[in-house]
Amino acid sequence: MNRTKAKLVLDGITHAFTDGEKERTILDGLSLEVGEGELVAVTGPSGSGKSTFLSIAGALLSPDGGEVRIDGQPLSGMDAMRLAQLRLGKLGFIFQSANLIPYLKVEEQLLLVARLAGMPRAEAAARSRELLERLGLGGRRKAYPERLSGGEKQRAAIARAWMNGPEVILADEPTASLDAPRGADVMEMLRAEVKARSKAGVVVTHDERVLSFCDRVLVLDAGRLKPA
Amino acid sequence: MFLALREMRHSKLRYALMAAILILVSFLVLFVTGLAKGLSYANASSVVNMPADAFLLSADAEHRLARSELAAPQAERIRELAGEGKSEALGVRMAAVEVDGAGKADAAVLAVDPEGWLAPPVVEGAALAPGDTGKALADAQLKAAGARIGGVLTDTASGRSWEIVGFAQDESLSHTPALFVSPAEWAELARPVRGGAASGGGEPAGSAPYNAIALQGDAQRLEAIAAELPDTALLSKRQVIEAIPGYSAEQGSLSMMIAFLYVISAFVLAVFFYVMTLQKLGQFGILKAIGAGTGYLARSVAGQVLLLAAASLAASLLLIAGFRAVLPASLPFRLDEMTLLATCGLFLATSAAGSLVSIVKVARADALEAIGRTTA
Repeated sequence: MNRTKAKLVLDGITHAFTDGEKERTILDGLSLEVGEGELVAVTGPSGSGKSTFLSIAGALLSPDGGEVRIDGQPLSGMDAMRLAQLRLGKLGFIFQSANLIPYLKVEEQLLLVARLAGMPRAEAAARSRELLERLGLGGRRKAYPERLSGGEKQRAAIARAWMNGPEVILADEPTASLDAPRGADVMEMLRAEVKARSKAGVVVTHDERVLSFCDRVLVLDAGRLKPA
Repeated sequence: MFLALREMRHSKLRYALMAAILILVSFLVLFVTGLAKGLSYANASSVVNMPADAFLLSADAEHRLARSELAAPQAERIRELAGEGKSEALGVRMAAVEVDGAGKADAAVLAVDPEGWLAPPVVEGAALAPGDTGKALADAQLKAAGARIGGVLTDTASGRSWEIVGFAQDESLSHTPALFVSPAEWAELARPVRGGAASGGGEPAGSAPYNAIALQGDAQRLEAIAAELPDTALLSKRQVIEAIPGYSAEQGSLSMMIAFLYVISAFVLAVFFYVMTLQKLGQFGILKAIGAGTGYLARSVAGQVLLLAAASLAASLLLIAGFRAVLPASLPFRLDEMTLLATCGLFLATSAAGSLVSIVKVARADALEAIGRTTA
C-alpha cells in the first residue's frame, strides 16, 4: 500500500489499564494503516480491547506508547483543544445506536457540527440538505430523533459523521441496533461514501454480516491486529 | 446558544415550570426589597431627606438623636468652626398632640431654621419664619388625624399650641409624622415649666440646647471640627438613621429574608440544572467526542441559566409594576431605579453562581463515555 496515501496510521500502539492492583495490557504493539477508499473491519471477542482501540484511533484517548497519525498529522503533543478541533474536522464518528442529540431535529444535528467547525451558514445548509437527500432522509429533515426508526437514526448519524468532510470515519457497532436488511442498508451506504470520496473507514463490530462489506477484516487478539 | 435555545424549545414544560419558580422567587425578592426600602423611608424620611454630610451629637448619646444634647455654647462653637452656612442646629422631641382639641396624634417635633438648608420644602400653605412662635409646619400624614391649615395642635406635655401654617411631604421620624417648628418656638418649648406657669424672663431665644448639629463639608474638615470638641461624636447620616429606635431591627429581619431568597434562588437553579446535567452526561460525552469544546458546552449551560433568570426577572418586573398600580397608599413600598438595577444584577449573579456546579460537571464529562454507550 502506498504509505503517503494512508489516511489513518497507528504505529506500535501500547496501552494498559490499572485494574485494581494489577496492570492489564490491552493493546500491545498494535499497528494499522488504512488507505484512501478503504473500509476495514475490526472484530474480536468482548474484552479484547476494541473500544480502547477505537478511542485511541479516534483521538479520544492518548496511548501509553506508539504514534497515531491522522491524514498525515501526528497526534502526540496535541492539547485537548487541538484534539477536539481535529476530531471536528478530520474525524467522523458513528456510535452504537446512533446517539443523536434528542432535542435537535435531524437537520440540526448536522448544522451543529458545521457550526462547531465554523462552516458558513449557507454552505452548511446546502451540504446538510444534500447529505440527507443522498441518505434517503430528505423528507425527515425536520423530525426529532424520537420520531425516527432505528435505521433512519443510524443514517442520520452517518450523515452527521460526513458533515464536516472528515478524512477518516470510525464506526462503533453501527448495525448493533438494526435488523438484517437495515444493517445491510447502512453498511452499503457507509461503503459507498468511503469509496466515492476516497476516505478511510474503520468499522469495529462483532456482527458477521458487516464483514462482507469491508475490504479487509482484522481480528484484535492479544493486543494486536491480525488478518482474519 | 444554538444548543441552549433548541433544548429549551424541545422541553418547554420543563423549563416553563422552572421559570415559574424563578418568577415567584424573584417577585418576592423585588417585593420584599421594595417593602424594606419603603419601611426604611417611612421610618426615617425626614433624616434621609436632610442634605447633611454628617451630624455632631453628644458623645454619650450612643448615636441616638433623642438622647443627644448639645448646650448652646457648644452649638455656637461648632457654628464658628464650621463656617457660614455649613451648619444647622436640629432639635428633636417626640410629642403627643391634640388636633383641634379633639383627636390625638403622635408627632416628631423637629426644630430647624426655616431659612436654613434643613428646612423641608413646603408643598401646601406657607413656610415658617425664624421668629415664629405658636406656629408649625406639619407633615401631610397628620391630615389623616384631622390636621388642616389654620388648625391648632396642642402639645399634651408642655401645653403649647401651634397653628398649622402649611404642610410638607414625606417627613417622618420613627414612623411618626414630623412637625417643624422655628428656633424661637424651640426655645419656648425648652423653657423649664415652673409651678405650671412659664417663667417670665429667662434665657433669650436660641440659647436652648439642641439635639444635634447637621454639617456640610468634606470629611477631612468635618473630622477637624469634631476633634476640637471632645464631648461630641461625628456621625454619618447612615449611622444616625440606623440608631433610630426600631430601624435596625426592622431592616435586619427584612434583609435576612431577602438574603435567604437569593440563596434559595441560587439553590433552586443549581439543583435543577445539576440534575439535568447528570441526565445529559452521556450527551455531553458524545458532543465532546464529535468535537465540541468544554467552553462551548459550558457557555451553553450558563446561557440557559442566564436566559431563564433574565426572562423570569423580566416577568416579575412586569408583575411588580402591576402590583404597584393596585397597592394601597398605606403600604410603604419604594423601589427606585438604582435599587431595581442592583437587585436585578444581584439576582442574575446568584443565578450564574448556581450554574457553576453544573459547569464543573460538564467540564468533567468524558468524551470516552461516547464509545460503547447504547443510549444518548
